[in-house]
Amino acid sequence: MESESKKLRRGSLKEVSFREMWQKYGTVGILAVLVIALAILKPASIFSATSISQILTQSSVNILLAVGEFFAILIAGIDLSVGSIAALTGMLTAKLMVGGVPPLTAIFLGILIGAALGFVNGFLVNKTGLHPFIITLGTQAIYRGITLITSGARSVFGFPISFTKGISSSIFGVPVPVIIAISVAVILTFFTKKTVAGRNIYAIGGNKDAAWYSGINVKLHTMMVFIISGICAGIAGIVLIGRVGAAEPGAATGFETYAIAAAIIGGTSFFGGKGKVFGVVIGGLIIGIINYGMTALTVPSSYQQIVMGGLIILSVTLDRFIATKK
Amino acid sequence: MGSLVKMKNITKKFPGVTALDNISFDIEPGEVHVLLGENGAGKSTLMKILSGVYRPTSGKITVNEKEYDYLTPKDSYENGISIIYQELSVINELSIMENIFVGKIPVKTIMGIRVIDYPTMRQKASEALLKVGLIRDMNVFVENISISEKQQLEIAKALVSNAEIIVMDEPTTSLTISETEHLFKIIKQLKSEGKGIVYISHKMKEIKEIGDRVTVLKDGTYVGTRKVDEVEIDELVTMMVGRTIHGTYHNKNISDFKNEPVILEVKNISKKDGKVKNVSFKTHKGEILGFAGLVGSGRTELMDTIFGSGPKSYGEVFLNGRKLDIKNPYNSIKYGLAMVTENRRETGFMDNFDIKQNISVISNLKKSKAGGTIGLLDDKGEVEKAQIQVKDLRVKCTSIHQNITELSGGNQQKVILGKWMGVGTEFIIFDEPTKGIDVGSKSEIYELMRRLAEDGKGVIVVSSELPELLSVCDTICVFKDGKIIDTFDIKNVTEEKIVSASTGESGKVKEVN
Ligand SMILES: Nc1ncnc2c1ncn2[C@@H]1O[C@H](COP(=O)(O)OP(=O)(O)OP(=O)(O)O)[C@@H](O)[C@H]1O
Ligand SMILES: [Mg+2]
Repeated sequence: MESESKKLRRGSLKEVSFREMWQKYGTVGILAVLVIALAILKPASIFSATSISQILTQSSVNILLAVGEFFAILIAGIDLSVGSIAALTGMLTAKLMVGGVPPLTAIFLGILIGAALGFVNGFLVNKTGLHPFIITLGTQAIYRGITLITSGARSVFGFPISFTKGISSSIFGVPVPVIIAISVAVILTFFTKKTVAGRNIYAIGGNKDAAWYSGINVKLHTMMVFIISGICAGIAGIVLIGRVGAAEPGAATGFETYAIAAAIIGGTSFFGGKGKVFGVVIGGLIIGIINYGMTALTVPSSYQQIVMGGLIILSVTLDRFIATKK
Repeated sequence: MGSLVKMKNITKKFPGVTALDNISFDIEPGEVHVLLGENGAGKSTLMKILSGVYRPTSGKITVNEKEYDYLTPKDSYENGISIIYQELSVINELSIMENIFVGKIPVKTIMGIRVIDYPTMRQKASEALLKVGLIRDMNVFVENISISEKQQLEIAKALVSNAEIIVMDEPTTSLTISETEHLFKIIKQLKSEGKGIVYISHKMKEIKEIGDRVTVLKDGTYVGTRKVDEVEIDELVTMMVGRTIHGTYHNKNISDFKNEPVILEVKNISKKDGKVKNVSFKTHKGEILGFAGLVGSGRTELMDTIFGSGPKSYGEVFLNGRKLDIKNPYNSIKYGLAMVTENRRETGFMDNFDIKQNISVISNLKKSKAGGTIGLLDDKGEVEKAQIQVKDLRVKCTSIHQNITELSGGNQQKVILGKWMGVGTEFIIFDEPTKGIDVGSKSEIYELMRRLAEDGKGVIVVSSELPELLSVCDTICVFKDGKIIDTFDIKNVTEEKIVSASTGESGKVKEVN
């Protein structure tokens, strides 16, 4: 009640429109500020085609993970297993390719594996009725364990040239990982804005009981959400092994933190029901540019972690502060 | 005698709408000041300014001889103002006792450490619960109690803080006659203690029964204040709506529906937990079937069972002669069933959706396939449909893109009704359909129900308001202990008969009325 009454307390027209501006353009604004800051501190680091494409390429894996994570948060849940799904999918895809399966078939199978791992998450959430936090905390460890077992804790490499070349090439100057991330984001934007299922997922995030009484099959859509998250993580895992040139058993460890951060910084409500794919992409770019910028400014990576953590807390606090401004 | 509170020249603007325009209002000790007005008139907004939820755009509030530009929730609490909000604010995840003390947990100091004072808490809670007649284990989680019990709990919450001013924003929407009587006894007691009460309700009869003064608002402006003794209900209604309404809605059905085809037939429905026991009934074309009964009699459980929203159960349901296989609400909606649920905040609307999105939930689902997973949204169709419903039901809003939580309670209810209209519904269950809806709109909704029935749709109305059942239904079933214990034809039924059937004690009738 307390927070609700705060939320209800509204001021004059002017403040409200400021808040609306913030909600609409806040994340884009942060991104712009970061770009400008970097441009002032180290102009050479940003004003070149290669640096821009480098930032985008580096962000693409996180963006792929984040747009899937977004759906899990949208139903007021979470998916902590995305990093492990990426690692396991990457590992199995690598094994298939090294074992002689043609790259395109292996990629297709890899995506199916991602979907299957997401299915297991959704199945367990629906069957046990436990919060997705618990379930995916468990599967995070399980999937990582399977990755270690199947790989014998060793990296797998020696992929067909066509695969590594393909991932690291560019089409019309745009790196393939970026194209993949953009395509997935575009498809998911369409899904959220134009399909009944997308709308239903927002409904579940807003009010699960009312959604159920309105005929929305909550379990079916919960399943769908985790499958989407699994597919996105699977694609991220495949992009990752292509970029690195090897599948490592410890790949993408902790990446779920960045994915969650991108979703939250991108304006997704932790209470469910609110957020946009586009915002999450911007959130991913914000994280990408901070990482890139700090590297360019030769800040040690341990400090980068601190900045990242601070940013998550700051952005959500700021959002709250503005939303409850009297 | 000085007023307990004086609100002077209060104006409150929201984006695109002036909810209150220069309103003055005061509360005297020992009086019940009724606040009256159509849906969206500004009643709740005025009271939320008093409780500190909103800040007025301009105006002054004087409490305890101190003048404020606005009150914070803390100011309001410390000045002895307590409010029962229209939308129940109890927390399902807490126990009954914990709910009573949300935000005001009693503490005591033991050896310099402040600890929760559980004995005081228990004692105060049980006193308050006894007062409102909520006889329940205090440790029960609120998600397990019925909506009327939640409303009683809200009242208990307001009592426990020993407030000087108690605002009741539609406290009886979910209460039946005897519970309402109980509340009125409490109000009289509070009055005699010199407390001031603001009472908001759309049940006009209650005003005469409990009110001392009444202030009428219309579209955020002040219409007038009268002494209840010196004014007739008709005059108040005219002040409210700005025109005369001749009488209330009366059942105009004269057709002999008994020879018409059966629309819905329910055969031997039972629930595992025994809340519904072997219930059978039929509805005919052109017939509106009402369900009366006390709280906890199992009416809502029965409807949940038919609609598929409750747990698995036994029995058969036929719609237009076809046996239905219902496992969940999705199945029943696909068959053409609809249900307006009794608790709009918990099961009625999505609070992250605007009016248009809330209205289109059902139509979207209907045109999609595979459990609602395959299908595209039709933006233009959604806009059109929402506009039609908003116009038909006269929803007061700035646009169909306004978030539903920004609407007044009665207007939210209208949106919920709207989402089931024009979607090819064959059979509709209305569970407390006019909760929070003003007198003028009520008769329009009754006419809407009649039109549905005349169009050959099946209609069931569950209501705790007997005048509502009597004015809209053709047949009234009285539900008790999970069974239909009596069925009345509208031609030979009175409130007394229903009450005595539902309590099972004919001697009690006099006391209740
Ligand atoms: N948070 C808000 N944002 C925008 N408009 C609001 C908000 N709260 C209320 N309003 C508007 O203010 C007006 C008055 O609403 P209010 O809830 O006070 O009506 P009410 O008299 O209590 O009606 P009801 O009988 O339906 O409960 C309505 O037009 C409503 O849409
Ligand atoms: Mg109201």
